[in-house]
Amino acid sequence: MKKFLTAVFTMASTTCALAQEAPTSPLEISGSVDTYFKYDFAKQPNIKTSFASDHNSVSLGMIDLVLKKRTGKASFVGELSFGPRGQAQSLPNAAEDVSSFHIQNLYVNYDFTDKFSMTAGYMGTFIGYEVISPVGNFNYSTSYLFTNGPFQNAGIKATYKFSDKVSLMAGLFNDWNVYTATRGVSSIGGQLMVSPVEGWTAYLNVLSGAGAGGYGTIEDLTTSYQISKTFKLGLNAANYDIDNDGGGYAGVALYPQFAVADAVTLGLRGEYFKYKEVAGVAGDKYTAVTFTANIKSGGLTFIPEVRLDHNGNKPFVKDNGLAVPNAGQFSLAAVYAF
Amino acid sequence: MRYFFLLIITLLSTILFAQEKQFATGDNGKFIYYKVVDSQKVSRDIIVQRTKDFVTAQKKSIKIVSDTDSSVSAKGTLVIDKTVLVVGHPSGELNYNLVVEARNGKYRFWLTDFEFIPYQRNRYGNFVATTNIGTPLETKVDKLTAGQWKDIQATAYAKVEKLGESLKVFLASDAAVKLPVKPAGTISTKNW
Repeated sequence: MKKFLTAVFTMASTTCALAQEAPTSPLEISGSVDTYFKYDFAKQPNIKTSFASDHNSVSLGMIDLVLKKRTGKASFVGELSFGPRGQAQSLPNAAEDVSSFHIQNLYVNYDFTDKFSMTAGYMGTFIGYEVISPVGNFNYSTSYLFTNGPFQNAGIKATYKFSDKVSLMAGLFNDWNVYTATRGVSSIGGQLMVSPVEGWTAYLNVLSGAGAGGYGTIEDLTTSYQISKTFKLGLNAANYDIDNDGGGYAGVALYPQFAVADAVTLGLRGEYFKYKEVAGVAGDKYTAVTFTANIKSGGLTFIPEVRLDHNGNKPFVKDNGLAVPNAGQFSLAAVYAF
Repeated sequence: MRYFFLLIITLLSTILFAQEKQFATGDNGKFIYYKVVDSQKVSRDIIVQRTKDFVTAQKKSIKIVSDTDSSVSAKGTLVIDKTVLVVGHPSGELNYNLVVEARNGKYRFWLTDFEFIPYQRNRYGNFVATTNIGTPLETKVDKLTAGQWKDIQATAYAKVEKLGESLKVFLASDAAVKLPVKPAGTISTKNW
């Protein structure tokens, strides 16, 4: 491992000297702000997936600021987020009141050739369909697959692009969602990207090592297909096994989206998700249906959404406090991207 | 103060002038950027070869589709930026078709079939295409997106105009051009 890392950094530092002579691109600045109102039909927070958590409140998501610059073959990305969505609800140490770096992405990249590049730092995870930034998601609330999967992976990865239709990534990573490894550089991950036909892209992902709940392996398929100008279909399926019968999860989510006008797209998210058995105790099973609209005007997107979840073990509550198998909520979010 | 007003008037005039610049519409109803250039000093063959060199120099963004001894057709992509003052980011890409036709003494070129594909920031903070299906640039859009679409059309025009100017400069330049070498004819010594 030491030899491999030494070789990589030696190669990187040697070629960096050449890259400094190349022309620089302007500094890119982009980002988003988001705010939402949610009303839970049980009159209290009931659905435990990420974000949009406050009931009957006009609440904040986050302000997200992204900087990017390229100098020849070298580039960096730094993404800082401030606000509940970008701090306590998604960052490793924000809730501990010790320090929060507010960082969603912080990495450097070097394109050795047009086909081969290496990236090192703290990066949004390559696992899954949904992301932390509200700009990257169609739905405002998130799936169980997203909430239970990794958010970020710190590490070093190499990507080789065979063609526009096939690329392969392999990397070494810390445990999930940490700025500093607690169990060393303990995970190995890979991603095969294939694009069988124009408009259809599929990512086959594997991450094995230290993760949530112990050491385990997650296999993930994330794919989307723009079937026509107005219809897009997305799919995410994942299986996570924690070693020594430590549980894990499995699930699948389907994302059909239909553009009804230039500015209006309607979408559905249907999800089945289950936690795996631990020590003979069966895990919960969830089904969830989310109906979402995206109404765009310039950089602003309004996202009205209705969501209904079901679990036979009655983990939800009614407004009178009784346990029930169903939960529902309405939310209206406004996301501005710049 | 007088200079200040003069500056404001100049700026406003420039802005108004800039707003007037937009694509012409071709016979087929599509936007077109069309130029005929007088080129007495450069022959047809050299124009064709320099056009190929121009495309080769930008092979990541333009590719030749077909060529004859008097014309070159190519497909290309321009990145459209969203810029405020000196900072910004890519907001989409514009696909187009380029045709250059040469005669001795003049040539013409046009860019048309413009299609815009919007970009979206991905999980790594990079801007990537959201779809593979472009929207024709001349498309009429609804009120909610009209302002943004107008900005895209204006930026697209500026980019295309810049590309057109760089093509003209390249074709007029004295840079060494590799002319195709004609294969030497076969000589028979049997009959003389």
